[in-house]
Amino acid sequence: MASVLLPVSLLLGGLLLVPQLFGDFFAYQIGLYLIYGIAAQGIGFLWGRTGILPLGQALFFGVAAYATAHALRDVDGLAAQLGLAVLVLGGIVAVAFAIAALIFRGRSDSGPYFSLITLALVMAGEQIANTATGLTGGFNGLSGYDSLGGLDPFGNFYYLVVAAVVAVSALLLWLDRLPAVLIARAVADNEPRLQLLGFPTHVIKALAFAFSALIAALAGGLFASHQGIVTPTSIGFALSTELVILTAVGGRFHVFGPLLGAVLVGLASAELRDSFPYWEICLALAFVLVVLKAPGGLGEILGRLYHRILPRKPCKLPEPVQAPVSRAGEAPAPLRFDDVELRVGVVRILNGVRFETPASGIVGVIGPNGAGKTSLLNTITGNLPPTGGRILLGDRRAVGLPPHRALGLGIGRKLQVPSVFFSMSVAENLAIAMMAGRARWRDYLRPSPLGWRAPGLDAVLDTPAVPLRAELDRPVGALPQGHRQFLEFAMTTAAEPRVLLLDEPCAGLSHDETTLMTDLVRRFQADTGGLVIMIEHDMAIVEALSDKVLVLHQGRVLAFDSYDAVRADPAVQAVYAGGTK
Amino acid sequence: MSSVLVLNLVWQVGTLALIALGLAIVFGQLRIMNMAHGEFVMIGAYAPVITAALGLPGWLQLPVCVITVGAVALLIERTVIRHLYGRMFDSLLATWGISILLREAVELIFGRGYQSVAVPVPGTLYLLGADYPAYRVVVIAGIAAGFAALAWWNARSKVAGRIKAMVGNPDLARAIGINTGRLSAASFVFGCTTAGLAGLILAPTVRIEPMMGLDYLIRSFFALVVGGLGSLEGLGLGTAIIAGTQSLFGAALSQTHGYLAVLFISILFLWLKPNGIRSSSR
Amino acid sequence: MTKTLKALLAGAAMAAGMAAAGAAGADIKIGVLVPDSGPAGLFGPSARNSAMLAATQINAAGGINGEAIELVFADVGTPPAEAAQAALRLWKGEGVQGFVGMHDSAVREALVGRFNGKVPYVYTAVYEGNACAKGLYVTGETPSQQLAPVIPHLMRAEGVSKWYLIGHDYNWPRDTNALAKGYIAEAGGEVVGEEYVPFSVAEFDSSLQRIKNSGADAVLVTLVGGGSVGFNVSFAGFGLDRQAIRLGTLIEENTLAGIGAGNANRLFSASGYFASIDSDAAGSFAADYAAAYGADAPALNGLGQSTYEGLMLLAALGNKAGSMEVDAIEAVAEGTNYASPRGDNTLAGRHVAQTIYLADGSGGAFEVETAFPEVASTDGCED
Repeated sequence: MASVLLPVSLLLGGLLLVPQLFGDFFAYQIGLYLIYGIAAQGIGFLWGRTGILPLGQALFFGVAAYATAHALRDVDGLAAQLGLAVLVLGGIVAVAFAIAALIFRGRSDSGPYFSLITLALVMAGEQIANTATGLTGGFNGLSGYDSLGGLDPFGNFYYLVVAAVVAVSALLLWLDRLPAVLIARAVADNEPRLQLLGFPTHVIKALAFAFSALIAALAGGLFASHQGIVTPTSIGFALSTELVILTAVGGRFHVFGPLLGAVLVGLASAELRDSFPYWEICLALAFVLVVLKAPGGLGEILGRLYHRILPRKPCKLPEPVQAPVSRAGEAPAPLRFDDVELRVGVVRILNGVRFETPASGIVGVIGPNGAGKTSLLNTITGNLPPTGGRILLGDRRAVGLPPHRALGLGIGRKLQVPSVFFSMSVAENLAIAMMAGRARWRDYLRPSPLGWRAPGLDAVLDTPAVPLRAELDRPVGALPQGHRQFLEFAMTTAAEPRVLLLDEPCAGLSHDETTLMTDLVRRFQADTGGLVIMIEHDMAIVEALSDKVLVLHQGRVLAFDSYDAVRADPAVQAVYAGGTK
Repeated sequence: MSSVLVLNLVWQVGTLALIALGLAIVFGQLRIMNMAHGEFVMIGAYAPVITAALGLPGWLQLPVCVITVGAVALLIERTVIRHLYGRMFDSLLATWGISILLREAVELIFGRGYQSVAVPVPGTLYLLGADYPAYRVVVIAGIAAGFAALAWWNARSKVAGRIKAMVGNPDLARAIGINTGRLSAASFVFGCTTAGLAGLILAPTVRIEPMMGLDYLIRSFFALVVGGLGSLEGLGLGTAIIAGTQSLFGAALSQTHGYLAVLFISILFLWLKPNGIRSSSR
Repeated sequence: MTKTLKALLAGAAMAAGMAAAGAAGADIKIGVLVPDSGPAGLFGPSARNSAMLAATQINAAGGINGEAIELVFADVGTPPAEAAQAALRLWKGEGVQGFVGMHDSAVREALVGRFNGKVPYVYTAVYEGNACAKGLYVTGETPSQQLAPVIPHLMRAEGVSKWYLIGHDYNWPRDTNALAKGYIAEAGGEVVGEEYVPFSVAEFDSSLQRIKNSGADAVLVTLVGGGSVGFNVSFAGFGLDRQAIRLGTLIEENTLAGIGAGNANRLFSASGYFASIDSDAAGSFAADYAAAYGADAPALNGLGQSTYEGLMLLAALGNKAGSMEVDAIEAVAEGTNYASPRGDNTLAGRHVAQTIYLADGSGGAFEVETAFPEVASTDGCED
């Protein structure tokens, strides 16, 4: 907890000193920058953690500012005003969540389209604020109301701003240590992987967006009371981009970065605007330089300096805790394909695939390149919804569900090229995987799930030859390819799925590593008694592992039988004639 | 529909397509979200101001425009943009900063005041039963001819394919002998120069001042996302939808409604068809 | 974190130091608020120059109550929040005793709220009228002043009767047109169309088409800045200048230059000031301006020159009251009189009764055609 309490109390102390040291007017001035800083902190949270860049954050800032102005003008009594504030904030959160959830549904990226939508929304908001004179006062704005609670904008209102800054900062610092933010960062890092681990990423992104909107709205409410006037500039495109610039310059990865950016740029701007005609040029140049050379902004530069003086303490690994039971590991069940078809554009990839596996055992999938092996797995996990037929797992339909629902059915999947969270440590990767299928909502807001362990994962980590145990605090980006294969295998099996889909798990592995991997696969199947479906090119591995072999050719099942029977099948021999293995 | 409405629509679509063309190259092919695109239109519109200030003859406006805009674009590509390939959000932010720099630079040189450029082809023509500005008619014809030539070249040339190959897989493109650095720089400069040409052409019909670029940027972006990236037909469709919405709503209701309708349609497309109107599904 | 704090403290120390240095002089400090940035930034340089010229002349005449005045400038071309900050820095930080402001109405509303009647404040820009608050005095022209005499005059002189009203979509054009309709009806004309265009729309094709179809023979233009330039250029491009005259209430010298001589046929402007006013006072002002800032100085125009008017009114108020205290000024303000390049001016209802000039921009430069002396504002204040 010290990592939250110490910086927050330093911040509080520093800000409380400002009026004493520099007078009320200076505090008033800083107050405005702090209010912008709060809104920028919301952007920093969203952009720095989930990778979503909001270009229209002034929409929430402005709507809350207008609502506050109306409340202060037309509603009597602090209690009624605060009640209204809660209602408005709730409304803004709900709208922001709905917008983002609708837009992100069915997607696995945060491309520029979302940023452009937020931009269009804030432009529409600004225009409506200008036109709807009856509601907003038009261009000249709403003014002529008292400050919230009768506080003096030049005096004690500053302390309310400080309270808000400290509360928001503490909340963000606290969140940064929790699984919730780890999951949010995983969205930015590798969204398709997070979906395959069962996380509904569109909901996560919508929650993060709504949270940042809430922070912007809080700042907007303070702004209305602090300034005594709200005009369309408070809901405008210019303010939106300004807030993004403050965030970028201050540093989006650190909780205090945007705050620092807002205060420094604000102060420097106020000082230099009238005395230094090239101020705007310098600010623009500095901004371009930050984007090019220091994407982490001032926050990162100062942080690096700080850690040069006071070396970073080695990252302490979380305490191992017994994890709750996974919801993915239901009773084993057979997987059945009924005439499954898959077309992408005019290309027919699967042409009526039909087979039924046993509930338990290892099925090897072979076939020449382009036979549709990986597409077969994609139809099971929902990455490529079939255009015909049905897929059943036991008696449950597994068709038409988005990828994040696959794990809930008990299906885990390892991809061909190791897909892990590359910007994170091994321990963080494993923590996310351990939460897959196990965590409930409240678990994301407490630290203990970061140390979750289960016998299955321990068994993998405790295997002497598996290289991960010693690498828990290392960033995944620094690991060799083979180690990443083991990491992804450990992550995929952490939820103990009843169906494990493996796409060439031994690709890129040395001979010894291949032996180890086949041992791990065999052991996983034996321990869980479930089904493993494995695409593999190496016939020696297929022979050694498979209970049954599925041969795909040109999008159809050519044969589905024991290894020996398949090998003796003349149709299979015809396809593989001239082939190497 | 009256004939003037049709001509206005053609004019709006044509000029927007010309402005968006450069953005389509820079955003569509290089994946650079160039927020300074409007500033290249602005610099192009200043070309007649430059020639007038230097006492140069009018026919030098075109070379002055191409050289000025091209040089600025090349400078920016070499110093900033080349670090940003593959960093889409960063390109958006950095070019936003560049747009401020370009505005301030033009303001330092020419001042903040409005400039005016005389219409090279003055007067109106009696066309389809109504008076229509003669200069607009000439420009519409020129743009139509230009796009026809571009479509012809696009169908034959390998350059577009090379650019796509380069963006899709720069390593592979380098391996097969494409000079990616030079090709990217050339594409960026070409895209910006078309914007500058659009500015030169529009100059006699619009206001000219350092802040004028923003008007063109947003509409071009929306036209691109509606039409989808990567094809001339998409560009045409996108500009037709954006300019048509503004024109028709503006004529039928009010300009405010037209503006809000453009935003609304853009949001719908970005939401439901982020890859443009011609993509089969999302 | 300690870094953050240190940076904060360093910035703060810098600000406090500068404020202390500024408070040293004994003169009366006047804060002059002009737009150096933003859409109105074009008017910053001429507004600064005009204000400095006024200060020189006021000091040469003995200052305010015998004390010399010193101008302190701030950029208010920003959104209201930042503009109010800048003004408050001058007031609370530098001890400014009076303000002259040339900026938009949103900034004025913010400043009125923040000044709260505790410091005299002269607002000088053309605006929609009806701004009334303790300590606030207005030299800027209001719609009633610019239109009440001008509309009937134009209708008689130019033989026009069918008006089309077009403006940007915000308060000033809407309030202007609300008054204009009354004057047009009184003079026996009719309004054949009215429309408002967002700031963000830069093309006017559909508006021009409507104007053409409406059969209007006069257009009242309340578009501002670049929008006005774009509209007027296209207006002439479509040959509509042959169909209708144009009257603008915020078309000044820079806007006309942007429109260009070729597009300014039958374009009229009504304002309290043009650089080409043919009077001794205006002539000597223009000569002083040229002498002080050179032949290449930013062009004189109504908005820029208005800061001169503001300082003259503030000095007259201070001298009449014998103090810069708002209460003292409030007691004597009504009827305060001062002479300026615009003519003879009298404060009535917090607004200035002044001469309104109607100029014709047809040749690409304004030629003052008619002067209407002592036009009082009917959208001023009751008290």
